[in-house]
Amino acid sequence: MDIYPIVFHFFAALVTISALGVVLMPSPIYSALCLALTMLFLSGLFFILDAQFLAAVQLMVYAGAVVVLFVMVLMLFDLRNENQPFSGNWRVNLSKLGVIALGFILIALPCTYLMKASNSEWLQSRGLETKKLAELLFSKHIFAFEVVGALLTVVLIGAIALAKAKGGTHARTE
Amino acid sequence: MLDQLLPVIFLFCVVIVFGVGMIALTQLAGFKAKKNLVKMMPYESGVPGQEAATTKVSVKFYLTAVSFILFDIEVVFLYPWLLVYSDYIKPHGAFLLGSMGLFVLVLVYGLIYEIKSGALEWD
Amino acid sequence: MGKDIFEVGINLAKVAVIFLMMIQAVPLLVWLERRGSAFIQNRLGPNRVGPLGLLQLLADAVKFIFKEQFIPGNAAKFLFLAAPVVALIPAALAFTAIPLSIPIQVEAFEMLGKSWGPYTFQFQGVKMDSGIIYILAVSSLGAYGLLLAGWASANKYSLMGALRASAQMISYELGLGLSIVGILMIYGTFDLNAMIDMQKGPLQFSFLGSEYVIPFLPNWGIFYQPLGALLFFICNFAESNRLPFDLPESEGELVAGFHTEYGGFKMLMFFMGEYGHMMVGAGLVTTFYLGGYLIPGLTEDTVRTLIATEVGAGTVANLLTALVFHVSFIVKLALLLWIFIWVRWTLPRFRYDTLMNLGWKTLLPWTLANAAITAIVLYFARGI
Repeated sequence: MDIYPIVFHFFAALVTISALGVVLMPSPIYSALCLALTMLFLSGLFFILDAQFLAAVQLMVYAGAVVVLFVMVLMLFDLRNENQPFSGNWRVNLSKLGVIALGFILIALPCTYLMKASNSEWLQSRGLETKKLAELLFSKHIFAFEVVGALLTVVLIGAIALAKAKGGTHARTE
Repeated sequence: MLDQLLPVIFLFCVVIVFGVGMIALTQLAGFKAKKNLVKMMPYESGVPGQEAATTKVSVKFYLTAVSFILFDIEVVFLYPWLLVYSDYIKPHGAFLLGSMGLFVLVLVYGLIYEIKSGALEWD
Repeated sequence: MGKDIFEVGINLAKVAVIFLMMIQAVPLLVWLERRGSAFIQNRLGPNRVGPLGLLQLLADAVKFIFKEQFIPGNAAKFLFLAAPVVALIPAALAFTAIPLSIPIQVEAFEMLGKSWGPYTFQFQGVKMDSGIIYILAVSSLGAYGLLLAGWASANKYSLMGALRASAQMISYELGLGLSIVGILMIYGTFDLNAMIDMQKGPLQFSFLGSEYVIPFLPNWGIFYQPLGALLFFICNFAESNRLPFDLPESEGELVAGFHTEYGGFKMLMFFMGEYGHMMVGAGLVTTFYLGGYLIPGLTEDTVRTLIATEVGAGTVANLLTALVFHVSFIVKLALLLWIFIWVRWTLPRFRYDTLMNLGWKTLLPWTLANAAITAIVLYFARGI
């Protein structure tokens, strides 16, 4: 028996449920934690598609760094009162569901159309080994790679400038 | 890849069952004592709490986390690079060394700027 | 996973057994830490319960289970209870990918009227193709357990401890990731088993076209990357929040840091996470730099033939050979764990700003320089 489709759909369902949790959870902290779970399950999906390196990047960069930053920042603010506007209000929940439905229609339907058009060959040709990825990155896409380095530096300098901007707790005193 | 993922999923479940089981067991077996207001207060060295738990925190934590993300991406790029570097060191070693050297130099410039600007000073 | 029910069953059971091995090593390490610290500080330590105080562990375990389970009034109950479990997961997942000994060959045998086998079982939880990437990825989730515990306790000491801990963990994760780039460049693979295979035999390398062999030294990674090994080991101290990097729980300032409000078995689970990180760190140092389970001067075949003359060739001999190499791994692991404990009771704690300075201004440039120099030397050694 081939258990591959079972595991794939199990992970796909987990990703969907935790992504819904991000939108529907009343508290921002719980939303961020659901986002971390989404990243975890997404990396599981990458893993069973043989993309081990992407799975690891998903965990290291997204779950291990970006979402940790979100959670840290949310914990710095006093968010206990922020729950009220987002919970116990049927109008809010209804509008959230409406937005989800709209997004589903806008994204999922074209996707299914495209998948049919491409004869779903992409599912057969799964597997993006780390080495193949690296060979592509350092031959064909070398320019993009160097530009990413410059972009990261620009982001770093921007973050420092923002943290030192006027009125901040660590504003430059001159 | 499924061969390698399924044991991990199984272990994940084992850890969760172990953890939840032990916590449930200790909740059941643990000593039961009466609750009172003072006991339920946040611990603060024996005096009543002075300020709320969520107090103002230095922006430095935020800055540290942002710079961590950026340098983490750099580290992540180093891993596929070292695979191709040790494989193709004979024909393309100089090119690979140069391309990664440029990438790292740009980020080292960012690091030097960060150190010089005092963003990493904790006071 | 395996081709029949026996192989699948053994492979799954193995994962659970290795997790339980890790869990049961924690009380032993706690005992070692208490006795060791006592001798370092010229006192006796626990010595009343059982021989050498060894049964103290059992008494502690019973006490942990029967303590009152306390949840503070303002706490977020679900996250408060979930945090210890979350803290346990990364270490447990990471440890399972570390190779503990040579694979065991099981010859074909008869059971329940059917013939089974032959099989080959790896002496590790999961044999990962890119093991080190997997370990780095799952251990990057370590910050969540602390952050959740700190926030859910609704206590400012806990929150401060959690923030410090996570800022420290992510700062030293950079050093951790960068310090092994050099050694990975030399091995050219992410597979931990392949790395150990490369460390067989005497020390030999080629430089500028000529071959050098040093027969009295093993071919271990530490001789190629002494600085990398030291930096990696230091970063592991910070990753497992141990002294001199245990700022998150500096009791002079923050009571007990992120687990201020925790007690009983829940606190023990944070301990398991911490010791688990220690074991993963020590296991990785062993695998990268100290030849993993290899014994210098002895090959697998020598040991196997030696044992086979005693018990006869077959599954039992293979199993005993694997056990011999496993003991070699455990000895190396135990020595490194002892260094962890020794350092904790020797060095004082850093101040927070010196800690962050060390991470960002010292370890990060040094690890980068180590990687750069390795790349350049490797180019001259193999590239030209």
